Amino acid sequence: MARYDSLLDALGGTPLVGLPRLSPSENVRIWAKLEDRNPTGSIKDRPALAMIEAAERDGVLRPGATILEPTSGNTGISLAMAAKLKGYGLVCVMPENTSTERRQLLQAYGARIVFSPAAGGSNQAVATAKELAKQNPDWIMLYQYGNPANADAHFRGTGPEILKDLPEITHFVAGLGTTGTLVGVGRFLREAKPDVQIIAAEPRYGELVYGLRNLDEGFVPELYDESVLTGRYSVGSYDALRRTRQLLETEGIFAGISTGAILHAALAVAQKAEVAGKAADIVFVVADAGWKYLSTGAYAGTLDEAAARLDGHLWA
Amino acid sequence: MAVTVSIPTILRTHTGGEKSVSAAGTTLAEVIDDLENNHGGLKARLVKEGALHRFVNVYVNDEDVRFAGGLEAAVKDGDNVTILPAVAGG
Repeated sequence: MARYDSLLDALGGTPLVGLPRLSPSENVRIWAKLEDRNPTGSIKDRPALAMIEAAERDGVLRPGATILEPTSGNTGISLAMAAKLKGYGLVCVMPENTSTERRQLLQAYGARIVFSPAAGGSNQAVATAKELAKQNPDWIMLYQYGNPANADAHFRGTGPEILKDLPEITHFVAGLGTTGTLVGVGRFLREAKPDVQIIAAEPRYGELVYGLRNLDEGFVPELYDESVLTGRYSVGSYDALRRTRQLLETEGIFAGISTGAILHAALAVAQKAEVAGKAADIVFVVADAGWKYLSTGAYAGTLDEAAARLDGHLWA
Repeated sequence: MAVTVSIPTILRTHTGGEKSVSAAGTTLAEVIDDLENNHGGLKARLVKEGALHRFVNVYVNDEDVRFAGGLEAAVKDGDNVTILPAVAGG
């Protein structure tokens, strides 16, 4: 069915498409889960709506309330859309080194943005949001890094959709940010298929983002459950950009930069299966489309130039 | 058995400001011991109670060692070892 009562009802049910040109062989196939086909164009619509609805059910979120959230962008945009439709205010704490499109979208939806310093990246945004929460006790912080409704949205939605469309799945590859996608989908798939491989692709940024004052300011999301994963790759901006462009050029998919990092890990996994002579059906997540990153120059010029422009930016 | 180890900004006080240094070993534990011999104090920043510090991630050729044996992860000549503080996404 393609008719819905409202935009919020159109969430999920995203296509899973084969990538015949990028797949190494007929035995090792790669599939893309197009999460850019969600209401605001990213996978974050799922956890954002789930967290709001859980808070409404719990009676924490009442009409006219103000939501507070640390976010590098997509979760904020998803929350901003849902907040607008449901009559909530939204304050996003966002690192200043994020793309201008993210800011413009948040502002278009009427969200307020509090910028946190570039140095320290999202860790700093989380710290700033926690401070703001103390100062404004009536604001509701949904806190995507520790909210079980985040992972649960993928356990109930993303995971079952994938298994239904591809019962023969052997590998699932997604980005590691809040860890909600990997933990939620991973737990669901593991119950149905104990041998399934769950692979994380983690963005590796420029030095600025790791410029913490001490190691104890490091951050591991409360949702993270290492036992769900079977592997974890760190992918730098050059490889992420290279794969983002390759996906566009070979399969026609115009994706965001974090998707390139995820594809890089998926191709590494595919190569291992191919070398081992094992059949594999590898699903990776297209987290969003490329529109929000055009201003970063990710799709123009040489890869070295584009990677240099991204240095210091939070591109995932 | 030489590997190249990338050092994050926050730990460069131990390497005289060097972004990357060379070290020897066949496992990550041996590499870290060798690092300690040449850059005193590093080991205590990386290892707590016999395991990697919770907020430190180490990658051998971009793969997280926690899924490849942890401190006992194998390394071979020419590998790139990257040390990074844990950071959030989202």
